[in-house]
Amino acid sequence: MKTNSLWKDAFIRLSKDKLALVSLIIVLTYFFVAILSALGLIASNWSQEVGASNLAPSMEHFFGTDIFGRSVLLKVIRGTQVAMSVGVAASIIAIPIGVLLGALAGYFGGWIDDFVTWLYTTFSSVPNIMLLISITLILGKGIFAVYIALGATSWVTLCRLIRGEVMKHKEREYVQAAGAIGGGHFRKLFRHILPNVSHIIIINTSMQFQIAIKSEVILSYLGLGVQGEPSWGTMIDDAKLELVRGVWWQLAGATVAMFFILLAFNILSDALRDALDPKLKGK
Amino acid sequence: MKSLVLVLCGILFMSLGCSKDRNFDERELHLISPEKISGFDPIHVSDMYSGNESGKVYEGLFEFHPLKRPYELMPNLAESLPTVSEDGLTYTFKIKKGVLFHDSPAFPNGKGRELKSEDVLYSIKRLADPKLQAKGWWVLDDRIAGLNEWKEKNAALDASNYAEEIEGLKKIDDHTFAIKLKKPFPQFLYALAMPYTFIVAKEAVEHFGKEFLNHPVGTGPFILPVFEQTNRIVYTKNPTFREKFYPSEGEEGDDKLGLLADAGKKIPLVDKIIVDIIVEAQPKWLSFQKAKADLFEIPKDFFDSAVVGGKELAPDLKSKGIRLFANAQLDTTFFAFNNDDMLFKTNKKLRQAISLSWNREEANKLFYNSSAVQAQSVIPPGLGGYRKEFKNPYVKYDLEQAKKLLAEAGYPGGKGLPAITIQTRNETVARQIIEHFAKNLEKIGVTIKVGMNTWPELVNKVTKRQHQMYTMAWGADYPDAENFLGLLYCPNSSPGSNGSNYCNPEFDALYKAATILQDSPERTAMYEKMNEMVAMENPWVFGFHRTKFYLSQAWLKNYKFMEFNHSQFQYLSVDLEVKKELSKKF
Repeated sequence: MKTNSLWKDAFIRLSKDKLALVSLIIVLTYFFVAILSALGLIASNWSQEVGASNLAPSMEHFFGTDIFGRSVLLKVIRGTQVAMSVGVAASIIAIPIGVLLGALAGYFGGWIDDFVTWLYTTFSSVPNIMLLISITLILGKGIFAVYIALGATSWVTLCRLIRGEVMKHKEREYVQAAGAIGGGHFRKLFRHILPNVSHIIIINTSMQFQIAIKSEVILSYLGLGVQGEPSWGTMIDDAKLELVRGVWWQLAGATVAMFFILLAFNILSDALRDALDPKLKGK
Repeated sequence: MKSLVLVLCGILFMSLGCSKDRNFDERELHLISPEKISGFDPIHVSDMYSGNESGKVYEGLFEFHPLKRPYELMPNLAESLPTVSEDGLTYTFKIKKGVLFHDSPAFPNGKGRELKSEDVLYSIKRLADPKLQAKGWWVLDDRIAGLNEWKEKNAALDASNYAEEIEGLKKIDDHTFAIKLKKPFPQFLYALAMPYTFIVAKEAVEHFGKEFLNHPVGTGPFILPVFEQTNRIVYTKNPTFREKFYPSEGEEGDDKLGLLADAGKKIPLVDKIIVDIIVEAQPKWLSFQKAKADLFEIPKDFFDSAVVGGKELAPDLKSKGIRLFANAQLDTTFFAFNNDDMLFKTNKKLRQAISLSWNREEANKLFYNSSAVQAQSVIPPGLGGYRKEFKNPYVKYDLEQAKKLLAEAGYPGGKGLPAITIQTRNETVARQIIEHFAKNLEKIGVTIKVGMNTWPELVNKVTKRQHQMYTMAWGADYPDAENFLGLLYCPNSSPGSNGSNYCNPEFDALYKAATILQDSPERTAMYEKMNEMVAMENPWVFGFHRTKFYLSQAWLKNYKFMEFNHSQFQYLSVDLEVKKELSKKF
């Protein structure tokens, strides 16, 4: 009987889930928009005045204009770039830390495990938002500080999951077999165990991604995030004062943009877990 | 369905009950405090809102005239203005006779005793007491002969020794005393009108101990036996208050406004003051609209719902007899250059070019509903030293000239000029103002970045000179331009109040000479000269003198805006007839 690989199997299962597919398309669209904006192909002229101050949405200005007469639509797009870049950068920083520490702790145990466990319990015992705020205060403000702050705080869950999974796998027959034919620690850990737990990384990343986006919005709302660039957080901050005067479009633009990406990521990570986790197979 | 009807009836009755509980027999004044009150111990009252509350119960030696403008100091507990010795250092004060402290269990038999000169000297010593760490100590720090030494000496003791005589504080008799200064301090009497120097009774301080801040015992027009840290404070008229009368003269035109109708009447004019502490803008606004407050400061974002076209009161408010007051503030907003930074220090033309490229008219419209006055220099209108005719040639929007000056400064089209970071407060409007500034400066090729800070962070950056530019507003502590000019005096450089670290020997010499002079045409001329000198130098990008907007109910009488308003409430009155009549409309 021909069997499919884990990945192919997962893809087949994922493609049967219509909702997940729609979510995937939404996520990819956001990435596409963010890349176009980062390349300067769209929304590069966001800071220019396109009309009078606080114009309501119309055919000419889809999302209306802000206090300085800038297009809210372009700000939302530029904000998308900021949000997605924060998600990607935080993942790039957090994944290697989480995977490496988790794998080493789970595999070797002993004092290494003690140390890593101590490290992540310490990190997770501090309320996340407090940690984020203090890191941005130390590093100074700006988008790089946000990248680093989020990267440095979001590896904890991944580390814990990988550690547990590696502990389970290291006693399995295939790992013992690899040892029996002369494989060293490095080979056992990175060639054999990690590929078998890698689905956790993907599931976890899709969950962390939305947390990173939310955190960026919160930090920018508090004035600790992106400076001098539009962000969904600063747009919501602006809207706080404008709402009394009936200027709702900035809030609407930012929250709608946030709503779709967060919802899509949520559904997608759920579907990914269903598709990738061997324990949930056939359910 | 039946129960729903019952509930609706209940709500209806409750709301009827609410409107009926208005009191038309007693003159009640309803006010709102937009901030929590930090307590009633005068030496710790550093914010305006707590000062307003303390001012109802306590009194100082002097107060500002409620009607006359420019602000004029008048004796309150003092009998008259003091006599000053020839060297300008020794002030001899006489206090009024027959002034009684409020009745309180702190006194024998619970009856308030008469105010004596010891009480004044005791209250001043309390401000210096090292055990109390008074927030208001800066007012008299290094001013009174022997007081700093007394403070230092007592820091080492277990309890401060109030019995010790101090060279600068001398009792002459029960109603006369003398204060000797270390050096001339023409603003001294202003310091004696601030809440920090309100007079307290020793017995009360000792009787209540740590709880003194919740048990105000003053000589003031209203009494409050206990402050219970709730959101409503109810003061009643002080039955033993001395004979004090409503002033019979004021500023020109006060007569026509009806502000002199109560001239010569014994004050206070109301029986009760009820202060509700409401922090959020929305409930405050609703409370005023329901006639539960007699006076209300319009928050910026509610401006459009209260004022039509930036000038006229909204018709629905007008029909209820509500009046609008627009009051110019004694304040100046600014963007300061750090003149420590060589970029700005040596390059006046760069500073001027930046000043010329900010569209202030647009900023005024966006952020102040076009109600602010463009600042030409440091001193706000209303203080001696401000000349209405004076126009700063660099306070206008002229991109052509700005570009020309920028090129002359060595940065044609902004080439070669690094990005400039402006530090500001972590607050929405503060950020938007800099965004607007940056957007304007982009047009001449100058790049501005925003640096957002918490308030302590911002102060820290400025005191440590870690800024290129920063923005702030300065409000008057007392009506003397010295308070503003000091912001550019070289010896006040960071960590002092001169955060721009601007130094100009000619200016400094004038400042030094002017600030030891008493108020005189000569001093005003010097202030004018200094004000106009710095205007041309542009150590700041001058911003605005802002305006506050107040609404008052038709029945509130005698209201006139006061910048230093803690003693104002005893002069306010309520017309019960008008209130009864108009209340039907609410």
